[in-house]
Amino acid sequence: MSDVAHPATEYSIVEGEPPELMGRNLNSAGHLLASATAFFFLAFVFAYFYLRSLNNDHLWRPKHVDPSLTLGTLVMALTVASALLVRLGVLDHRAARRAQWRLKGALALVAGLIAIVLQFVEWVSAGFGPADGGYASVFIGWTAFNVLFVLGTLFWLENLLATAFRYRRIPSGAPAPGEASGDAGRLGHDIADPLSLVRSGLESLSFYWAFLAGLGVLAWIVLYLI
Amino acid sequence: MSAVAVEVRPPLWRRLIGFNALTAVVFGIGGYYLGWFIGHHINGASVAYLGVGGIDQNDLSVFLGYFLGVAGFLIGMGFGVYPWARLRGYPPSLREKEQQGVGRYFGLCTDHKVVGIQYLCGIGLFFFIGGLNAMLIRVELLSPARQVFPAGQYLTLVGMHGTMMMGIMSSAILGPFANYFVPLMIGARRMAFPRIESLTFWLLMAGGAILTTTIFFGGFPTGWTGYQPLNDQANTGMDSYIVFFALVGISMCLLGLNMIATIVTMRAPGLTWSRLPIFCWGVLSTAVLQLLAAPVLIAVLGMAMLDRTAQTTFFIPSGGGSPYLYQNLFWVFGHPEVYILALPGFAIVLELLPVFARKPLWGYRLAVAGMLGVTLLSWLVWQHHLFMSGINSNLRPFYMLSTELISIPTGFTFLCGLMTLWRGQIRFTVPMLFCLAWFFNFLIGGLSGVFLSDVPSDVTTHGSFFSMAHFHYTIMGGLVFTFFAAIYYWIPKMTGFQLNERLGKIHFWVMFIAFNSTFAPLFAAGFLGQARRDVTYPAHLQFINDWVSISAFVLGASMLVFLYNFVHSLLFARIKAPVNPWSSLSIEWQLPSPVPVHNFDQIPVFTSDPYGYGEPSRPSALPAASPAGGSS
Amino acid sequence: MAPPAVTPASPSVAHGKRFLIAWIVLSAIATPLVAIFLGPAIPPGNDSVQASEQVFSNTVMVSISTPVCVFVLLFLLYVFASFRSRGSALVDGPPIRGDARIQLIWMVVTSATVLFLAGFGTYELLKSGSGGGQGPNAAFQPAGYKRALDVQVIGQQWEFTYRYPTYGGVEVPHLVLPADTLIRLHVTSLDAIHSFWAYQLGVKADANPGVDNIVYVETKGPLQFDIHCAELCGLWHGYMFDTGHVVGASTFAAWIKRQQSYFEPVMRYLPPYATNYLPDPSRRAG
Repeated sequence: MSDVAHPATEYSIVEGEPPELMGRNLNSAGHLLASATAFFFLAFVFAYFYLRSLNNDHLWRPKHVDPSLTLGTLVMALTVASALLVRLGVLDHRAARRAQWRLKGALALVAGLIAIVLQFVEWVSAGFGPADGGYASVFIGWTAFNVLFVLGTLFWLENLLATAFRYRRIPSGAPAPGEASGDAGRLGHDIADPLSLVRSGLESLSFYWAFLAGLGVLAWIVLYLI
Repeated sequence: MSAVAVEVRPPLWRRLIGFNALTAVVFGIGGYYLGWFIGHHINGASVAYLGVGGIDQNDLSVFLGYFLGVAGFLIGMGFGVYPWARLRGYPPSLREKEQQGVGRYFGLCTDHKVVGIQYLCGIGLFFFIGGLNAMLIRVELLSPARQVFPAGQYLTLVGMHGTMMMGIMSSAILGPFANYFVPLMIGARRMAFPRIESLTFWLLMAGGAILTTTIFFGGFPTGWTGYQPLNDQANTGMDSYIVFFALVGISMCLLGLNMIATIVTMRAPGLTWSRLPIFCWGVLSTAVLQLLAAPVLIAVLGMAMLDRTAQTTFFIPSGGGSPYLYQNLFWVFGHPEVYILALPGFAIVLELLPVFARKPLWGYRLAVAGMLGVTLLSWLVWQHHLFMSGINSNLRPFYMLSTELISIPTGFTFLCGLMTLWRGQIRFTVPMLFCLAWFFNFLIGGLSGVFLSDVPSDVTTHGSFFSMAHFHYTIMGGLVFTFFAAIYYWIPKMTGFQLNERLGKIHFWVMFIAFNSTFAPLFAAGFLGQARRDVTYPAHLQFINDWVSISAFVLGASMLVFLYNFVHSLLFARIKAPVNPWSSLSIEWQLPSPVPVHNFDQIPVFTSDPYGYGEPSRPSALPAASPAGGSS
Repeated sequence: MAPPAVTPASPSVAHGKRFLIAWIVLSAIATPLVAIFLGPAIPPGNDSVQASEQVFSNTVMVSISTPVCVFVLLFLLYVFASFRSRGSALVDGPPIRGDARIQLIWMVVTSATVLFLAGFGTYELLKSGSGGGQGPNAAFQPAGYKRALDVQVIGQQWEFTYRYPTYGGVEVPHLVLPADTLIRLHVTSLDAIHSFWAYQLGVKADANPGVDNIVYVETKGPLQFDIHCAELCGLWHGYMFDTGHVVGASTFAAWIKRQQSYFEPVMRYLPPYATNYLPDPSRRAG
């Protein structure tokens, strides 16, 4: 029987992975997350067209249910702009222009947050409530869950920005083990290079954020234009 | 757990403080009452902080309570540390709490082997609760006239049994066995996302606890499908169902994501797609379904939640909504869900048969094609659950066809399994017996499914005990039997100890006979007019029902045999198992038992699949590179 | 550990041929038996045209299932008897990894069976609706559907009531249908989803609020039949059952006349007959 492992082997000896593994994992996770997100919002797309075609009790969309196109367009445009900025940030990071990436990333974060604020403004000023028929239900449900997804993605962006700012002075390489995880008391098998973490996270985030912005455009088309 | 590092251990009370299950429960309950408090202030309702006892219709406070409760639970478990560190820009540690000791089983642990054992015990617990519900249902159905439980309690039992089994058991194979063995089989030291792996488990446990609390809120009347508008009508017990299933959905989705990412990116050198163990293929196809079907469930439950709290009208026909919307979306999730439960069973059977028939897996590619075909087709059949509902009746021929088409890829699995046995050297070990029972059970389940897929036959069988017997044959017969096969097969590797073979055989035979004696008569009961989920039934069916109830009690008792075997063998008898008791060629059996934390001294290189039984180049499946640290 | 001995790949016995002959013989015996004795005994019986069709469908299904069932079970028994490992030594079987011919035959046979079943089911379905709810606008209607008698079935928590639009929309608490008549049932609901299951008639149709779910049934002779709700609809779902009657044409005429005069005083409180009724939003009713 070939010996492939021994219980007594020192853990630190076997630790250490190919450095590109993290990037590959995050990359596939970004795509998988995007497909899951697509199926999530597919339910709302289906609900929109299904309820619209049924128009039960003629309550699909009473006259006063008419959200502000201006605000909706602004929310959509800011989301797309934010995704674009992150994409440009990726290009900067690849070209080792780290200061530029940090600036674009921060701008993207701000744009995303403004989009969320505007979405809240739209809900409050819409002049109709969730109970006003099928369209109102789909509108509120879709935008609300979209905000949740956007918030999660912005949290991810913030993480990468925070890491980038924290290690802005080091060219690359590992900080001290305890320091790296933010918890000195922990047994660390820490990620050695925070900068590679930013890169692999950023590539994946950029894809996912662009995808989510695309879904935002879809929502805008379906909810405002059709 | 033999050589624990000698260190000065702090006193017990000190060790209980920190991020662990105890803190998590305390934080969870605290979070629940915080959410409850906030919800009441938002809704301006009367303040009743002690929610236990009375039925309150303030759904918002219940939902907020559950959400904050789950948040508190996860923070108490230690899941808050990572986002908090990331928020401040610290890169995370890849692994957490992997040191030896019993404590790691009660908290966040990123060792996939610990998570696997956590899953096994956690799922076992809720399987036991769900099974107990089934026993109580059968107690009620002993008599058509005398009611043991009030009608509402009976419906809650039915709903809890169904929801618990469908929700928790979705991860019955993937949770314990895929988490434990997929990294080993593909030659990896960890899952792609170890923290998410742990998160899926604790979400499932939080969900299970939440579903159990439905009894404090008056239960829920809808069964596991939660159909609208009954769902919207029901009292706050329904909120537990919604939150439970949403948590299960999130857990499933993340579990699937993690599995796919792991299998795609972390395979060791040489492990090409055509050498991947068939178990991994089964896990992969299940994971695809989990990843994509669960979001639809979460979305539809989100809509139901909005209907119950924000007063949207997604499913209310007099408000511009439609109950059909719920049925459609639920079954878009629901039918893949059925295969989420069935596919791991295929995978286990095909993985174990070569070991005990001492032959290579017959038709590897066909078996893979079968599983992928099921994965694909399961998306196209959902309206066969709605043949009688009046939805899109003109599409019924299509759904009839697509449903029956699924039997083709399922047939591939049968062919590959059967032909693997052909001219083999079959050893009737306990895991093998459970696998062989799968053929019988799934045959009956599959053939009865053809009746349900045919609209004329479905008229009588739909919504009757026939369909109930059908899916118990496929899910209990297909999943639970293989679940036990997997337990008997892999426990020696997971724990290092043997299970008692004689008790295992007693368990198998009692379970197999009682199972068939329970569910086969229910086909007849359905055809004779007994509707599902009824607290009462026509008097002339009492004999069948009494027969079934008594068989079900025997079936329940067989689980106690297993439980005794499990506890006795692992905690008291503790007979060391050989490293490779089944003489399997699969790589996990070449590792020490239990598997060391780091899995492999060096990542192995694969040169063939693990089914080379009877082939001259036999051990070539896993020539690991020479060990780095240890001696041999 | 030394590699186990390997059994020779060339079989000394023609196992395949032996098994196939056994299967064909057994199937040839079992299938007609099942088709003649078991199939027709499967409910719902022959009390309506639709029910008879279902019995026929069930007979075909169970007959086709028989050879499949015999195949797998016989295969397993054969394998257990012939290919069990004897003795304690570990012996490997022959390393056969597949056979393209068997795979192809299997695919063709299963596909043909499945396509036949789907085609057969579609034919049966389109012929008369086979007693399943087919919604408000099905493309296929049974022959003579224009002359069908309309009867509305209204589900509510937790009882069924029935309206006869042809007779002034009178609403009655028990279902009575004329014999030898094609009947168009309009199934709808006032609250949760119910399912109207008239067992002996072979009828099942979900009652959805706001939906007119049509189902055709052609009655035969006089009959007493069981009605049951087949979709979980809340607390007293288990007690939502009733008995209906199929009676001769003259009895029916007399009965409906009696009902009209009996319910005359309350008719003006009823909403006018419609294909569905939208009550107040069904919130928090129970």
